[in-house]
Amino acid sequence: MAVSVQYYLILSAFVFCVGLFGILTRRNALLFLMSVELMLNAANINFVAFSYYHGNLTGQVFSLFTMALAAAEVAVGIGIILVLYRNFADVDVTKATTLRW
Amino acid sequence: MSNPWIAIGALTLVSIIIPVSMVVVSALLRPSVPEQGKTAVYESGEVPTGDTRIRFNIQYYMVALLFVVFDIETVLIFPWTVIYRDGVQQFGMAQTLVPMLVFIGVLVVGLAWAWRNGAVQWVKSTRARDTAGSTE
Amino acid sequence: MITPEWAAAAPTLVLGVTALVLFAFDSIDPESSNNPVLAGIAVVGSLAAMGVSVAYLVAGVGDPAVELYGGQLVVDGMALFFQVIFTSVTALVALASYDYLEDMRHQAEYYILLLLAATGMSLMAAAGSLAVGFVALELASLPSYGLVAFLKQNRGSAEAGLKYFLIGALSSAVFAYGISLVYAVSGSLLIDAVAGSVRNAGQPGVLGVGVLMVLGGFAFKTASVPFHFWAPEAYEGAPAPISAFLSSASKAAGFALAFRVMTVAFPIEGVVGAVDWVLAVQVLAVVTMTLGNFAAATQENVKRMLAYSSVGHAGYVLIGLAALTGTGDGGLVLGAGMIHLLVYGFMNTGAFLFIALAEYWGVGRTFADYNGLARRAPLACVAMTVFMFSLAGLPVGGGFVSKYYLFAGAVNAGVWWLALVGAVNSALSLFYYSRVVKAMWIEEPAEGVDVSSYPSTLYAAVITAAVVTVVLLPALGLFSGFAFDAAAAVLF
Repeated sequence: MAVSVQYYLILSAFVFCVGLFGILTRRNALLFLMSVELMLNAANINFVAFSYYHGNLTGQVFSLFTMALAAAEVAVGIGIILVLYRNFADVDVTKATTLRW
Repeated sequence: MSNPWIAIGALTLVSIIIPVSMVVVSALLRPSVPEQGKTAVYESGEVPTGDTRIRFNIQYYMVALLFVVFDIETVLIFPWTVIYRDGVQQFGMAQTLVPMLVFIGVLVVGLAWAWRNGAVQWVKSTRARDTAGSTE
Repeated sequence: MITPEWAAAAPTLVLGVTALVLFAFDSIDPESSNNPVLAGIAVVGSLAAMGVSVAYLVAGVGDPAVELYGGQLVVDGMALFFQVIFTSVTALVALASYDYLEDMRHQAEYYILLLLAATGMSLMAAAGSLAVGFVALELASLPSYGLVAFLKQNRGSAEAGLKYFLIGALSSAVFAYGISLVYAVSGSLLIDAVAGSVRNAGQPGVLGVGVLMVLGGFAFKTASVPFHFWAPEAYEGAPAPISAFLSSASKAAGFALAFRVMTVAFPIEGVVGAVDWVLAVQVLAVVTMTLGNFAAATQENVKRMLAYSSVGHAGYVLIGLAALTGTGDGGLVLGAGMIHLLVYGFMNTGAFLFIALAEYWGVGRTFADYNGLARRAPLACVAMTVFMFSLAGLPVGGGFVSKYYLFAGAVNAGVWWLALVGAVNSALSLFYYSRVVKAMWIEEPAEGVDVSSYPSTLYAAVITAAVVTVVLLPALGLFSGFAFDAAAAVLF
């Protein structure tokens, strides 16, 4: 007996909202990255669940791509955060205000 | 027809009740003797020094990055291996193998570039260099 | 048609191979300071890609559309048209960067990232499925984050890179989630197949949210409201050639993908029960135009003014989608959007490269710092004047014709109020663009600024952009046919 598909949708929406909440409230750039990761994984839940539901593998393969891109994004992101840390001696995203926000 | 999820629910319930009941029962039965030694991190032996949050050398970032590249590469090769046999039968060797070789070739170009630009070179800290110099 | 079929993807392949050649060159000699070769490879590679895409466009390779890899890539007139834009902007930027990067470290990395981003954009224009679109969008975005933060010692550049990255990461997550919802309803990622299955979709709510989230992803890439916050920061903090690259090519890439996905995958008559995205785009277009132009009018910093004006121009191009109401000629207005992006690719790139020239000379960043610049560098200032007036829509450059097409198309489609808002905003934009011209030609020069050297490649890039902008005014008739045909082919 399988769990019906709308529960996956609710789960992924919940995970997505947790990520979004983290982005809106956290000021640490690293926590920001983790929140984005949560949001991408929410998309992955949908892809895998509906891949099973529709009976094709497109969604599963795409979720692999999403993971690869998430890793690449984090790699670039941490590089930029390092540069930020060297310039501002902090990873607080609200501290960097040389330009106007 | 009984719902098979009932078994899982029962298992969850039992796995919560057992540890909680043990904690509660022992808390009721045991005598309370507060003592400083009990709150130490290591109750016997080492006295802990320093902070738990130590800084890692930034060069591990490069190592981690290179690891991620090959980690992800494996993930993307995996679906290809699943269909490889069918692919060879249906489209022939060239159509199946060459795209993956191109993919790995691009990665190798990237790895060679990173290697040549010092990604795997371990720069020693000045302190480490000094100690090495004094022992010579 | 073309044989072998994969050769239809040649513009993208040439860009990618050029990036790999740069990798190889830098691997052989990592400490090299042989910058002419690096810049040369980048320029030659992007010019070759441009040549191929122009030749394909003229030879009609994209008509009928070539579908590669089971429809994952679609090379049609629209893809080739956009590839011309990306490659020409990349060539101009690579040419200008040679002087701009003088004596800086990590130049090879700069050109590699530039070419990789261009590859991603070119792939975005040819994406035949949402999966390819997403991967290509990331391939275009990730190098851009690095390029914006390229001046590692500069606090402004680091901050701009961070903000661009944070908003980019957020919007790509939103985009991915949107795609997952669309997949949930349609069960496919191929754009054509999505179009087939959304018509009688079971869950209109899920589909509607998905479409809006996908639209949000495009809004980031095109610097439209509501994901436009990054634009002024990133353009101001980035090296000026990169600002040119992002505001022209990257924006065009976002529109390339948006045009294809919105019109093909979510046909209006098919999804109108779930979500009326044309209405959403109309609102976004009006808000984007107005916000961009009003914010630009209040700026004192020229680079930031151009950044906000670039947001405003995104609003004009959004008319291309917003006027697809079903009445009137959809191909006309969508083609007008493409033509505007082509002209914009030259005039806006040129304007930012002029800023690069001013930064190279050490001239300040505000309007007042540009006072009397025309006496010292008359040729460059003539070029800048052309860019400014063409951006405003005066008939000195191609910007006049493309705006005329856009507004005419909007009126034709029965959304005359969009054209009205656009015209009012254009009039407002004339005010702040002419401030630059006034400062350069009329104001007395400030003391102490010395324009001693004339960086040849930077100059060449600015002049080329100006010449093309002017030539496009009479010559646009030649290109407009391609654009209108391509747009019509996508729509029907």
